[in-house]
Order: sequence, then structure tokens, then C-alpha cells
Amino acid sequence: MSNFSIPESELMSSGHLACQGCGGANAMRYALKALGPQTVLVMPACCWSVIDGPFPHSAVTVPVFHTAFETAGSTAAGVRAGLSMRGDDETTVLAWAGDGGTFDIGLQALSGAAERNDDIIFACYDNEAYMNTGIQRSSATPAGAWTTTTPAGHTKDRPKKKILDIIAAHGVPYAATATIAWPDDLIEKFQKAKTMRGMKFIHIYAPCPTGWKSPPELTVEVSRLAVQTRLFPLLEIYDGHDYHLRRDIDVRPVRDFYKTQARFAQMTDEQFDAMQRETDAHWNELVARHEESARAMA
Amino acid sequence: MKKVLEGNHAISYGVKAADVDVVAAYPITPQTQIVERLSEMCGTDFDARFIKVESEHSAMAAVIGSSAAGARSFTATSSQGLLLMHEVLHWAVGARLPIVMANVNRAIAPPWNIWTDQNDSLSQRDTGWLQIYCESNQEVFDTTLHAFYIAERIHLPVMLVLDAFFLSHTSEIVDVFDADEAREFLPPFRPIERLDPNSPRAYGNLTGPDNYYELRHKIDTAMRDALTVAREADDAFYNLWGRRYGIVEGYRTEDAATVLVTSGTITSTARTVIDSRRENGERVGLLKMRLFRPFPVEAVRTFLARAQKVAVIDRNIGFSIGGIFAQEVRAALYGASHVPVFSFIAGIGGRDVTPKTIGEILDITAASERPDRDVYWIGVKDEQLLYTGI
Amino acid sequence: MSQKKTFGDESEMPMASISSDDMSWNRTGSWRNIKPFFDPRTSPCIAGCPAGEDIQSYIQLAREGRYEDAVRAIWKTNPFPSICGRVCYHPCMEACTRATHDQAVFIPAIERFLGDFAIDHQVQSPVSTTVNGKRVAVIGGGPAGLSCAYYLALTGFPVTVFEAKEALGGVLRYGIPSYRLPKNILDAEIARVERLGVAFRTSTAVGRDVTMEELTEYSAFFISVGLQKNRLLGMEHEDANGVMPGLEFLESINSGKPVAVGRHAVVVGGGNTAMDVARSALRLGAHVTVLYRRTRQEMPAIEDEIEDARAEGVVFRFLATPHRIELSQGHITRLTCQEMTLGELDETGRRRPIPVDSYFDIPADSLLTATGEVADTAAFEPMARIERGLIVADQFGRTSNPKVFAGGDIVSGASTVVNAIARGRGAAELISSELTGGKFHPRTEKKVVAMEDVNTAYFARTPRTPMTDNEHARQSFEEVHNGYTCDEVRSELDRCFSCGVCDGCDNCYVFCPDVAISRENGVYTIDYDFCKGCLICVRECPRAVLSTVNEAS
Repeated sequence: MSNFSIPESELMSSGHLACQGCGGANAMRYALKALGPQTVLVMPACCWSVIDGPFPHSAVTVPVFHTAFETAGSTAAGVRAGLSMRGDDETTVLAWAGDGGTFDIGLQALSGAAERNDDIIFACYDNEAYMNTGIQRSSATPAGAWTTTTPAGHTKDRPKKKILDIIAAHGVPYAATATIAWPDDLIEKFQKAKTMRGMKFIHIYAPCPTGWKSPPELTVEVSRLAVQTRLFPLLEIYDGHDYHLRRDIDVRPVRDFYKTQARFAQMTDEQFDAMQRETDAHWNELVARHEESARAMA
Repeated sequence: MKKVLEGNHAISYGVKAADVDVVAAYPITPQTQIVERLSEMCGTDFDARFIKVESEHSAMAAVIGSSAAGARSFTATSSQGLLLMHEVLHWAVGARLPIVMANVNRAIAPPWNIWTDQNDSLSQRDTGWLQIYCESNQEVFDTTLHAFYIAERIHLPVMLVLDAFFLSHTSEIVDVFDADEAREFLPPFRPIERLDPNSPRAYGNLTGPDNYYELRHKIDTAMRDALTVAREADDAFYNLWGRRYGIVEGYRTEDAATVLVTSGTITSTARTVIDSRRENGERVGLLKMRLFRPFPVEAVRTFLARAQKVAVIDRNIGFSIGGIFAQEVRAALYGASHVPVFSFIAGIGGRDVTPKTIGEILDITAASERPDRDVYWIGVKDEQLLYTGI
Repeated sequence: MSQKKTFGDESEMPMASISSDDMSWNRTGSWRNIKPFFDPRTSPCIAGCPAGEDIQSYIQLAREGRYEDAVRAIWKTNPFPSICGRVCYHPCMEACTRATHDQAVFIPAIERFLGDFAIDHQVQSPVSTTVNGKRVAVIGGGPAGLSCAYYLALTGFPVTVFEAKEALGGVLRYGIPSYRLPKNILDAEIARVERLGVAFRTSTAVGRDVTMEELTEYSAFFISVGLQKNRLLGMEHEDANGVMPGLEFLESINSGKPVAVGRHAVVVGGGNTAMDVARSALRLGAHVTVLYRRTRQEMPAIEDEIEDARAEGVVFRFLATPHRIELSQGHITRLTCQEMTLGELDETGRRRPIPVDSYFDIPADSLLTATGEVADTAAFEPMARIERGLIVADQFGRTSNPKVFAGGDIVSGASTVVNAIARGRGAAELISSELTGGKFHPRTEKKVVAMEDVNTAYFARTPRTPMTDNEHARQSFEEVHNGYTCDEVRSELDRCFSCGVCDGCDNCYVFCPDVAISRENGVYTIDYDFCKGCLICVRECPRAVLSTVNEAS
């Protein structure tokens, strides 16, 4: 009996160029299942710019518009306006960006789209570094991680940028996290976003075995551990203030996540303990906000 | 219907007449009036979306998106804004999108300078955008329509260029009409290639040396074909409204010994100088450069065929090599004519180019057989140089 | 499968880099150096069951509500689920991988439910499709003999079971008390054998009432008489009143004529027989003390039985043996016991008990010995080789005599009911192939799922569904443990991981990043043209159905 109740149709096919065990491939597969063929993808420079395959081929069966690195938010806004002016308000416009095109170089355009409440879904598949250009650090890289620009001895010292908070602060109708170990949850969130008007932001945690130095077969496990350790809680924020935290998940210590990936091989016990404390504090804060939201709704 | 309009507003009316679907723009002096008037018009006077983007880079990206979706799209900018868009200007070309943009020529910072200067648009010359330089507000209104006509046939974006303040903020009488009347010249935009879930395609996938070469060759071919299409637009427009501009315009060049080459509002000033010199018996003429890209090589050769001297006035500078129009004219004449081409720099940063300036240019040209330097900076404050300008 | 597109002329190309073809030409299977494949394995419960019951299958069938099909699946290798579900030492449960997650699945309770369902609903047994003329004699109507008779009859052989006692069942009837195995359940299970046309000759002891040589009309014999005699303590006054072998005591109860045990009963021994004796004596009103010469750890009895005995009030004295029986008027009144200590390991791997010079007395109205059983092989000596008091036979029942087969305790020494049933069936298959000239196919082992191969992330933590008890039965011979209700069995069935056997959970199909696993009619296929060998499918399979093989050349 199936563990899942997800749509059957495939809009992403085999033969794409993702690395073995790529979390971003699963993320795309599920997102397209959720949204269906009446979707236009806007893709800035990211791994998927290459994964989709070379001209004149494409691995997905929805229209794709490749665009410049910074511009996912603005190009998507334009596509939405253009489609609507052609009488099409049905097609979903999905901006599909990596963490670079969301957290860093793409942040301005994303903020613009969020502030204007453009009717798009902006999905970030976050593999926590500039992977397409060869594993350089981004502001999504977690503290303690190795990348080529935060090499051994100089691993990343700044914490991961809190993108969900940033977007929620724009007051968008929907901002959520999701990951590939919970396909049903991810698909539900995309489907929910599709029914809403205005700017919807979905932050997908997409492990990268190549950049994280983990065995490819662990990708789903790592994604699961990220949620179980509460480093990446499954959360929805409506209208910037109404929090819904998913709490029905077994909890594990943060070390269980870190030990699966050699990019954290340099972390010390002090760092692990500090991250555990920080994660616990953040979790408690989210729980408080969830409960406050529940009270406000009652 | 005749209105008194500043250049910026002439553009707004042009956009309305073109029945544009999507506008995305970010304000910058001296372009702001274009977008302010359009903000009022969009959704009220005509059916269009105005995306209030948060930067020019996003403005161009947004109209790229809307144009790719099959909507007629427009933006406007100037100077720093145009420079910020640079990366995505290339994108519009590579994606073969018929976007029209109005650029108000303004000097480049630092230091801040809001007055007219052509370096902003000319430094985009290799992006693949067409560039049309306008001399009057009427021409600005008319060229907005020409621009969409040409763009939608050759599948390349078109930049129409006007001088800051001299056109943008100066009121002139402009005969405008609305979209219903314009439709005969400019039918609705119905591209074959557009983002359509019923016919899914991917645009801009990774392309290797094996195919990129040909795609760029196609752009070059299209740009060259644009000369013919620009003439067609001019003819068709003339047939409907009795106004035409050509891709260049020769003014009293038939028997001119010395021909001035100008663009933008310097052209209007130069016309009066030519007329006054003619009254003195000097055989001087004027070649107005309207199309800069594609560069109208044949037309330039034709109009300068009988000249003995050519003096190009550039309100811009190609550092270390002279005025940019001069450089292009020299390249166009190469192999066809040995006429000496004098390159004059004037008006950079909005410095006034008066009839006296132009007179001095003609005098310097008359004084020698050939230029004794590759570029003359008229009026530069330098005791070593003898040319005083204003 | 498309080809990578190339253009001969610029005019064939679209205006810009516009893609209309797919990526199916790009066979990313070439990236692989390790290949996953579907490799169903044997669930450890199946591997652990001496009868080789296909536990995974019958649980899956029962989960779908197909109880009849589930029972028939059990009957393929064990005709007596209602019996085994009650008395078996359940090695299946010891092997269950669920133990690493929360608690092992309560397999015996499920088996009991299904067996009882078959009885209550009179589910039809399969019948033999062939009949052949070769008659087989089964000597001994206990679990081994009845199992052999059942499977032979299914294959079409006319079988006669010779049973020395008045009723069939052997240790099932005369050894195990009713509070563990009710007589009506036993009778219902035996009736199934009878419905196959097996003939029974009870009260007929081969050797005493008829000899093997006289049974000339049989083409083959299966000897399964079990262990009949008690091992003696070898003490003075062992023949006094009130001193009795445990088997005899149990037989008396199970025949409906219980022997009185007085107020204080002492039981010597640590096996299942000792537990049965102790708990039966308790139910007859005695205060019961069990003497065992080693400690609880070394007791061979099933843990459940020891626990039940303790819960019912049986007192255990470890590291003690009987030393002297004191009589009064020919009847035991007191037992002096000697203390022991544990020394080095002996040949059974347990620490050897060493007498200590320390004694104590306990009052005793009866002394019941359950220190082991031995065989009575006299009747069979001419027919097959006997060594160390047991008939020599291989695991399939072959003896030194081609016509004579043997199985159960008479071959293995004291063992378990499920072992006897397994040997009976194995011998039936062998006898069948020998008599019909067909091929004999011994059961072959497939690879077994190891505990660490299972991915328990996909299972919630659910404790084992507890079995309720009939508290009245603590003092009577009514059945102590209630079977599962329908709801209870359903919740326990849900806990089975289905190790090594795909149950259509879709994990592999959903988690493949390359859409290289497809599903049709419940069967999954890996498209090796595209599988990159990331092995996520192997890892995320909850039940270890996928294996890998290196492809590096």
C-alpha cells in the first residue's frame, strides 16, 4: 500500500543532467506534479539551468524561461503580467531559483516581487551554496560548513540567513518551508499556493551530495534529518504573522544531521553544542508563535 | 489631435497609441515624466499593466518576462539606469524579444550630471539593440510606433533615444492619435513563439559552440534586415500620416563640399547654421544620423559620396579613439571613399552646443585639408588647445 | 528513444535557443558504477521458523482481510496454527526486525487468531487431488506423526496412524495442560487430519500390540513416538507414594483423573515440562516450589512459561537439588535439598552445577520430577539404527532402513512442537518422492533480511498489541490467555514490516531523482538506461527489498 497520495503524472523526465542523488531533481519532480501542466517556469542561473539539458532539448514538459541570475522575481512578475494581459490568469507562474538567486544576488528582485505582492509562486530549492559554479559559499550556507570559498580552517562563520523571516516580513499571503523527504507535504503546499492570489514563497531544503560531501543514497535521509533535528522546521506563515508549525515529527539531536556530511567534518563539540542550543531556542520561539497564532484564530 | 507636449509625455502618448500591454519602469531624472504619465494612463486610458519595479535591472527583466509571455512591452530609462540594465539588455536580444525602450540621453556618473550626453546609449551599441536618435517631440511620438513595427518584424528590441531636457522637458506641438487609429500601422502583437503551456518550450537552454555561433549569426542577419524594415515602417507611416524621417536624412547635401554629421537636438541647431552659411555662399550640408544601429553604411556612403570634407559632431566620447559617430562613419567610408573625416567632441555633460559652436566647427574644418588630429574637443578648458567653443 | 538533435543548416534552427525536444536520448545509466536491483529476501521470521511458515505472506493476506487465504498459507507448512499459536516458543518473534524499532510483532497471537478463525468458520482444508496405492504407517500420533500423516494424505497416500494411548495428540494432549492448550482446540485441529481420510488405530502400541514386522501391507513407516519415559532422579525412595514422574502426573490430569498433590508440591526441573507440572499442581490447590540446579538464566523453559508460573505464585528455588526423601508411612513428607553453585561451562554451553556442602529442608506432600525424558526404542531396534537411546535419522527423516523414516523427539531428543511438525512434513515430502519416484526438493534458503537493512523511518512507534488474560483461569484449567479480537489482530497485523518482500509502498518509485523506477500492476521496474546508481531506492526501501551489485569493469 502506497505511503503517498500524490499525483501520478510526470512532468519531469529521465535523462536530465543532475548529479546522482540530487535533491533538487526530486524537488522539481514534486513541484511539477503539484502544479500540473498549466505552469510556466522562470529559472535564473542555478543548477537547474544545466540540469534541464542543452538546446534544443529540455527535461521538463512545461514552458521554461531561462533568465539572468538576479532576475527570477522580476522576470516572473513580468511573465505574470504578460500572461494576464493575454487573458490567461489560470497559468501558474513559478520562479524556480537556487539559494544564490534567492538569498543573495536575487534578493532584490525577490523582495520587489514580495513587496508588490505579484501573483507568482517563488520556490527556492536550497542546497546551501553556489553549487552550479562549484560549491562556493552563499548566505544560505550554514555556519561551520566547508565550501570552496570557506575552506578548511576558514569554514563559514556567519549563520544561515533567515530567508523565511525576511519574506514573511513583507507580509506576503504565504511563506512556507518544505523538503523532499516529505513529498506529500511539499506537494500540498504547492497546491495550496496555487489556489492563493498574491506572492507565495516556498523554501525547499534540497540536499546536494556533491557539495555536502555525503553519499548520494543518503539524500532523502539527510533531508529527513534536517527536519527531525529541527535545523529546518516545517513551517507555514500566512500574511506574515500567522504561524503554523508542524510538530508531529520525532526529534533527533543536531549531531545526527551533521555527521552525515563531510562538509561539517571540522566542527568542534563546542560548535555542535552551540548549534543545539540555538536550534532549541529557535524551535521554542516557533512553538510560541504557533501557539499565539492558534490563540488569535480561536 | 495636436497637443503641446514635452518629449517625455510624447513618449507616453506613443506608448498608449501603440496599445502596449505591459510597462515596467523605475524612475530616474530626466525620464520620470514618462513613467508618471504612464502610471496615470495604464489601466484608465488604456488597458495595460504597470509593474512598479524596484530597479532598472528588474524593469528590463520584467519586460523580458512579459514580452516572452506574448505581451507588447515597454520601458524607459536613462544614464545610470540604462547602465544597470546592461546585462539584461543582452538578454532581450538573445531571447529575440521585441521590446521597445525609450532612453533619455543623460551623462554618466561619477560625478552626478543630469544633463544630456550620448555615452549612456552609445555604450550599449554592441548589445544588439536597434538605436534610433530623435530630433523632435513629434519624431519621438512617431518613432515609438515605428519602433514596435520594426521590433515585432525582426524580433529584436529597439531603443528610441532623445536628449535630456532639450527634448524630454521641452514642450513642442505634437500631433498625436490613439490606438484605434494606430492599429492600421501597428496590428496587435501575436507572436508565434511565446510562453504557452499548450505548446511548451524551453527558452535559453545551455548552448555550446556548436550552435551558439549560428544563433548569433541570425541576430546579425536580423539587424541587417532591419534597415529594410525601418524603411518600410517609414513608408507605411508616411502613407497614413504624411510624415517621414528616413533612416538618415540629408539636408542640403546634394552639392555640399563639407557635410556635417549630427544626431539628436544638435541637428536642429545645425540646420540653422547650414542655412545661414549657405546664405554666405558656402556649400555646406548636414547628414542627420537617425538610425545608429543597424549602422546605415550604404546610406552614409551615398550621402557623403560627393563631399570633400566631413565633420562629425559627437556629444559623446570613445576614449582614446574619438567621437563614436565619427568612428563609425570612418569605418563605413573605409573602402568606399577617402574623404577626410573630422571628429569634433561637443556638448558632453550637457554643455550647450550653440550656433557659434557649430560655426567654429565649420571654420576649423575649412581651415585645413585634412584633420591634424583624430579628435577635436571643442571648448575644452585647456590653454594648449585653441578651440574655445561657446 | 530520441536522438540528440544536430542541425545541418542554420535555417533548420529556431530563431533563438528554443528547445522543443526532450532529454530521452541522454541515457544517464552510463554514469553508474553500482546497480540497484529488486532482490526479495526471506523475512527473518520465516528463516527463524523451524516449520518454515511463510509468516510474511500470511500476515500480508490477513492485512487485506483475506483470513481464509492467510490460514491456507499457514497450512502449506503447518497444519496446526491454533496449537502452535498457543504453545510454540516462537523463534519467529525473537528474529522479528521490529524489535529494533519498538517491539517485535506478536506473531504467535496472530497465528492463533487465524487458526481459531479457521476452526470457528469451518474453513475447508485442501483435499488431495491424487490417490495412489502405496500405504504408509505412521507410528505415534503426536505432533510429528500427525503432521507427517496430514502431508502424506494431501499427496494422496492412504495413511494409518498407530497411537499407543487412547486418544491422539501425544504431548499435545497428555503433556501440555488445558490452560495452555484447550482440548477442544486440539480435537478440532486433529479432526482436520481425519477429514483427509487418515485412519487412526488408537490404543495400539507397536511393539506391544502389533510388531513392525507384521505390518507388511505398508510400503513405508514413519516413527514418531516421542520420549515416553521419565529420567529418574536415581534417589532412594523414588518409588514412594507421592513421588511421581512429571509426565505421569500430567497424563493423569489430561486424562481427566488428576492425582492428588497435597498442600506442598515440589517440582524438580527447569524445562517446559517442569513449568506445566508446577502450574498444574498449583491449580490442584498446592503451594508449589520448583527446584532447579542452575539459575533462571539457564532454565530451558520458554520465558513466557516461566513468567506465567511466577505470576501465578510458583516459588522458585535456584541452585538446589533434591538430596534425601523423608517418608512417613511410605509417603513423602519432607525433602532435604542440597545447594549448588555454578562452575565452568559444560558441553551444553551452560555453567556446570557443583554441589555445595549446605542443605535445607522443605515440606513436601508430593515430589514431581521433570528432569528430562528418554526414549523407549525397544520396538524399533531391529528396524533402524539406534544410538545413544535415539533413532538415527537425518534432517529429512532417512534412517539406516530405506523403508523406515523417523522424526520428532525420538530422533532429536527433547525438542519443541514446531520442530516435530517440521520434521513430520519434511519426512512426508521425502517419503512421497521415494514412493512415487518423484524428485525431492529440500527447502532452500534465500538470503535473509538483516536487522540493519530495514529503514525504520517509515514506521510510527506503536507498542505491541497486548493480549488479555482470563484471570479466573489462574486457578482453573480454563485457557489463561485470551486470543486477539478482530480489532486487536488488525492493529497487530499493521505492525509487520513485511521484511524482504515488497508491499507496494512506492518509496523507490517516488524518491528516484531520475524518474527511473516505474510501477505497473504493483510491479516495479528500474529503467537501467537512466538509473544513475544513486541508490536512494535501496536506502529508502523500508523493508530491504533492493540489493546492489558493482558494475565497475
